[in-house]
Amino acid sequence: MSLALAGTLHAALSLNEIVAKYPDIPRLIIIKTDVQRRGIHYTERALSIVDPAIHQIRSPYLFGSRDGAIKPLPESLLLRDGTTIFVDPTPLEQNPYQVDLVEGRLALVDNGEVVEFVRLWEKPLYYDQKTSSGIPMSHIASARPQRLNIFQSSYCHFWAEQKGCRFCDIVNHNKQQKHELGVPVRLKPEDVSETIREALKEPGRFTNICLTAGSVLKGKDLFDHEVDYYIETLLAIGENFATKKFPSELISSAFNEKQLIRLYEQTGIMSYTSDLEVLNEEKFNWICPGKADTLGYNEWKKRLIRAVDIFGKGNVGTGLVGGVELAKPYGFGSENEALEATFEEAESLAVNGVTTFFIVWVPRPGSDFRGQQNPSLEYFVRLASGLHQIRAKYRLSIDFNDYRRCGNHPDTDLSRLL
Amino acid sequence: MSVQLSDELVSLLHDRESIKLLATTDESGTPHVVAKDSIHISEDGTIHYLEHLESSRTNHNLVRAIWFDRRVSIVIIGTHQSFQIKGRPLEVHITGPLFQKHYAEVRHRLGDVDLSGVWVIEPLEVINENPEIRRQEEEKRRPFFRHLDRLAKPLKGI
Ligand code: SF4
Repeated sequence: MSLALAGTLHAALSLNEIVAKYPDIPRLIIIKTDVQRRGIHYTERALSIVDPAIHQIRSPYLFGSRDGAIKPLPESLLLRDGTTIFVDPTPLEQNPYQVDLVEGRLALVDNGEVVEFVRLWEKPLYYDQKTSSGIPMSHIASARPQRLNIFQSSYCHFWAEQKGCRFCDIVNHNKQQKHELGVPVRLKPEDVSETIREALKEPGRFTNICLTAGSVLKGKDLFDHEVDYYIETLLAIGENFATKKFPSELISSAFNEKQLIRLYEQTGIMSYTSDLEVLNEEKFNWICPGKADTLGYNEWKKRLIRAVDIFGKGNVGTGLVGGVELAKPYGFGSENEALEATFEEAESLAVNGVTTFFIVWVPRPGSDFRGQQNPSLEYFVRLASGLHQIRAKYRLSIDFNDYRRCGNHPDTDLSRLL
Repeated sequence: MSVQLSDELVSLLHDRESIKLLATTDESGTPHVVAKDSIHISEDGTIHYLEHLESSRTNHNLVRAIWFDRRVSIVIIGTHQSFQIKGRPLEVHITGPLFQKHYAEVRHRLGDVDLSGVWVIEPLEVINENPEIRRQEEEKRRPFFRHLDRLAKPLKGI
């Protein structure tokens, strides 16, 4: 925490200056963070070696990209330490990193200098298959280098009430995805089961399954229908495993104890995440009005803590959209203030066995925060370092959501050595 | 700067009977040395090491090495020769065709085991650790480093 809170921010430092200033943070993780912060642009030379028979081309995703377009570009990148860079194509006028072809290899290039060589993600074999109902399997489960994502429904009920989270573009993006690609808005359990069965035929390809969707408010208890639907899908996935439990993560609304017990006891799920998105009640009320109105910040937190009794310490987490706490006009006034507030809250969760991680906030064109600027690289490096140090201090494992089983969090990349 | 390995060393690396040790260092610089039979040479002259366990000390030390540009050391011992290779981890394959090829191969050979990664190590220096060769080298390069009695004329009658 000392490192993360030390130092005063002046004018934004360059990548090399940040690498020199934070020698305890691996250069590769700082590069990943900055690439996620600024985005990428593939040059024509780079695209000339992309082979859709080998490389994974962008597949359906829950949230949209920062150029607002669905184009057949490579899905994403890998660094040489196995770190995933989950990154969007970005308009050139926003000054992204370039992915170019240098000496026959793909490289991240900035201001004409090679920053690091990268690899493209390989396409899993099941991407070429269709389900018996005729849907491309890539529309049922989207792959990361070692993880399968099941987006079981791409509608969020908070949007129906005009109370979607302000950084989120789920409904706008999924309308576009349905219209342009024919991706189903809601998945059928039998299609999911069939797709998982096919994916598991490729030895060594996957280590984790992640299930997520928008919030469903209906049911006898709030979220009961969401829970029912997850149970149905998880049971369908479980048909393919010889063991009851399989490495997996559920990212969902904040369920009550009864709902969590049902999920844990009836299905193979092994970890539970419910995203607070921003660790401050006032900012949460502004940024996540739907979550604030239905449960409220404190109840959301309490439910996470109760989940530890069911899933176990180190198997419950909450995700932040790192940087939205500084959004205009009601976000924190300074990066120092934002970090201090975030670490204090993350520590109060960690004491109770809940771990906190973040994704780099990308202001998406389909969201309320479109057109805003995300914070400095130094902010994200300090955020990653601070959250990692809290995890280390409270001996919280992050195995369910680490560099390999997720790959979208700079702070959990740092926790690779815990 | 990468060095090319001699034919003698390459065949020792290929030999399943040779003993192979991998030395890495932890956060505090403490060495960690383990015997690893999953070290082999690849077609491009780099050394590949198959790490089975994600949470092993060696794997953690290799991650530190690739993150903070640290060196590792590999010792290969045959019946009559031994070599040490100093190197640095260039890359780890945790996915992709090379990884999946080795994943299938180790499971075929060893049964229900897992594979965490295929580490690619660039050889930077090779030292021939054969004691006789090391002694001759030192005597040639550092003529002061010997005890005088070894140079004394043999006494008559003794
Ligand atoms: S809960 Fe918020 S972030 Fe999640 S899908 Fe709904 S609006 Fe988007």
